[in-house]
Amino acid sequence: MDRRTFVIGTAACVAAAPAIAQTPFPSHAVTILVAFPPGGANDILTRPIAAALEPILKQPVVVETKAGAGGQIGAQVAATAKPDGYTLLSHNNGISGYAEVDKLFGRQPKTTRADFIPLARLIADPVLLLVNDQQPYKTLKDFIDDAKKRPEAIVYRSGGLYGATHLPMAILEKATGIPKLRHLPTNGGGPAITALLGNNAQASTQAISASLPHIKSGKLRALAAFGATRSKVLPDVPTLKELGFDAEYYLWVGLFAPKGTPADIIATLSVALDKAALSEQFKSVVNSLGQEYSYQNAKDFAAFWAADAKRSDEAVQLIGKQG
Amino acid sequence: MESTLFSLAHGFAIAFQPDNLWYAFLGCLVGTLVGVLPGIGPLSGISILLPVTFGLNATQAVIMLAGIYYGSQYGGSTTSILMRIPGEASSVMTCIDGNAMAKKGRAGAALCIAAVGSWVAGTFGVIALTVVAPPLATIALKFGPPEYTALLVLGLIFLAYMSSSSLVRTLLMACIGLMLGMIGIDNMTGHFRYSFNLTELGDGIGIVPVAVGLFGLGEILSTPSHKVIGEVIAPKFRELWPSRKEWNESYWPIGRGTLLGFIIGIIPGSAHIISSFLSYALERRISKHPEEFGRGAVAGVAGPESANNSASTGAFVPMLALGIPTGPIPAVLMGALMVHGIAPGPQLVTEHPDVFWGFVASMYVGNLMLLALNLPLVGLFVTVLRIPYAYLYPLIIMFCVIGVYEVNHSIVDVWIMLIMGVLGYALRKFSFDPAPLVLGLVIAPIFEQSLRQSLIMSNGNYFIFFNRPISAGLLIVCIVLLGMSALTFILKRKDWRDKLAAAEAGEPIA
Repeated sequence: MDRRTFVIGTAACVAAAPAIAQTPFPSHAVTILVAFPPGGANDILTRPIAAALEPILKQPVVVETKAGAGGQIGAQVAATAKPDGYTLLSHNNGISGYAEVDKLFGRQPKTTRADFIPLARLIADPVLLLVNDQQPYKTLKDFIDDAKKRPEAIVYRSGGLYGATHLPMAILEKATGIPKLRHLPTNGGGPAITALLGNNAQASTQAISASLPHIKSGKLRALAAFGATRSKVLPDVPTLKELGFDAEYYLWVGLFAPKGTPADIIATLSVALDKAALSEQFKSVVNSLGQEYSYQNAKDFAAFWAADAKRSDEAVQLIGKQG
Repeated sequence: MESTLFSLAHGFAIAFQPDNLWYAFLGCLVGTLVGVLPGIGPLSGISILLPVTFGLNATQAVIMLAGIYYGSQYGGSTTSILMRIPGEASSVMTCIDGNAMAKKGRAGAALCIAAVGSWVAGTFGVIALTVVAPPLATIALKFGPPEYTALLVLGLIFLAYMSSSSLVRTLLMACIGLMLGMIGIDNMTGHFRYSFNLTELGDGIGIVPVAVGLFGLGEILSTPSHKVIGEVIAPKFRELWPSRKEWNESYWPIGRGTLLGFIIGIIPGSAHIISSFLSYALERRISKHPEEFGRGAVAGVAGPESANNSASTGAFVPMLALGIPTGPIPAVLMGALMVHGIAPGPQLVTEHPDVFWGFVASMYVGNLMLLALNLPLVGLFVTVLRIPYAYLYPLIIMFCVIGVYEVNHSIVDVWIMLIMGVLGYALRKFSFDPAPLVLGLVIAPIFEQSLRQSLIMSNGNYFIFFNRPISAGLLIVCIVLLGMSALTFILKRKDWRDKLAAAEAGEPIA
């Protein structure tokens, strides 16, 4: 190739560039970054939705794991990705709280909620207040009475400080007016349930999907649910709202696009996601997690996320800085 | 018992179905490959192949994924022995004496012993899993933060037996490891420690990049600085097999490693990583020739390799019996089951006997397959050593980089590996042994967390460690060990370590 053909070729490419940009989205593979390790709810739910998206978008949809630092790494990578609709993020509650925690510690937040555009909520799993079978409490009232009688005596275990299984306990403490319980942070929801089963902690707040097998076997008892309505799989567990306490909390999984993604691409993706969420593939996975179908489209999810973020910020402030 | 045997027979009927056999074989094969390739650990192997299993039924999926897991534990010893590159944290100890054996021309023997030890350990693990899983799992749940703290104190004491260099050098390395283990988010307060504003350091420094860097890269970097003899020792076929003496030296270590590994493996949490370290230290402590360790002691290969395999089988006990994951790999396996609509947990045996017993039976079959797969491959693997370094080493470095990146998809991990490679080179030049550093790094975060959790549980009262039987028992073992060492010191007996120190100072060994 001599220099002239090179120049002409390059010029032709430059001239053609706007034309390429106008080819309808998507023209190549879309990547969904999953901010949590394989085997978790994010991974399990994102894979079937990605598979269902492929025939709709007529492009491959790749699921890539970017886990670490409680989901912050994935959020950060997605926030700095090119906002062209080809990089999406699968995240959960965590994304609501990072900025508030950073504020508490006087750190410059790496990502804020404004960095992301909500696309869809794949699931909302109500949190349960759980105790193990060695505890005497049969109802929420028993639990509250004892917590008031013996402040700081009941130990509860969470999956991590300021995490999705720590915040609901702070919300519960405020709503019921019980003095602070003793908090034992672990790394991850699995270890927290292990500790509860082994009576190394007396209580914990965990999502239904993670605790259902143990509730069925009688090793754990659910005293109350943080959902707005009773769960179909646990119809005997009253909600906190029914019992007269203003407390609500879910472990949810949602999809996001980075800030600055053009509106028409967001619209294309939303339509495609709404369709993909109706696929049998996705529904059966939701079912197998012992969950009710709780998909939300972009608009509803935006409203839900705003309310959830408010709850999350308040809870982080309630907990405050620990040492 | 009779019903167990009946169920197991039913399980074998499922495991011997041609397609299930095929998936078990596929899992074992992929696992062996994953184990052999440096850096690529079982977690990344399973994660990559997880989507493939969505098209299979639940039994096939779990048979294949589990095959990858225990298959990689077999293969993990290969690069450790041949090239001194640990595929993952648990093969670090195999590097030391395994590679020393290879340098003496006994690579084939070391690989055979590792394979047979793995088979014994794997099969014992499955038998134990079949017979005693539910009661054991319930006891394992009792293992809370205070017990962890006590176990890790024991681990710290065993550090002293870890290395073939003098005590001062060992402790120095261990301290660096413990300090590196402090990096990351403090789980108790949410502060970032020594993270230099890198979010990637939030989870701390990974063990795989450090182990691969210190051992593998360090070894490769130091090769050009000494004279490499062009001719590689090419053993004859007969010499591939261990001699009678080597077999005799490995019986007991295999037995002890198997038992120790299984007990540690069923503990929920990340304790299984230290099983091979503890086994190595134990073998050295009770050996009549502790000075041979680090110079190609057979027991230093047989013990840790068996321990790490039975620990990986033991890790299935809490997962299958109680539905709780003991580590990241069982967590992925549980995720795979849940995708198929099966919730692992106490009801698994009654609600899905086909999955449970088919899976258990497939592990008996899989272990045999692995032995059949690995023993003939020993000859092939040993020939890898004949590839000239100029071709072999760049390839190895490439696999190290890919493997380390693949674990977390993190470029920061690759940098950590490279920096550790340079450090590993320096340590080799000054004859420091990096193994205690790796153990320190493994222990530090778990130890800190469990100590602080225990104190939260007891409201600051240190007696919690003596009130609970398991932790009290472990601490008594620690005290006895320290007492015995003190006695040696007081009576001014010369032990093997003095001989080492003397040798290091250039004096003739008395």
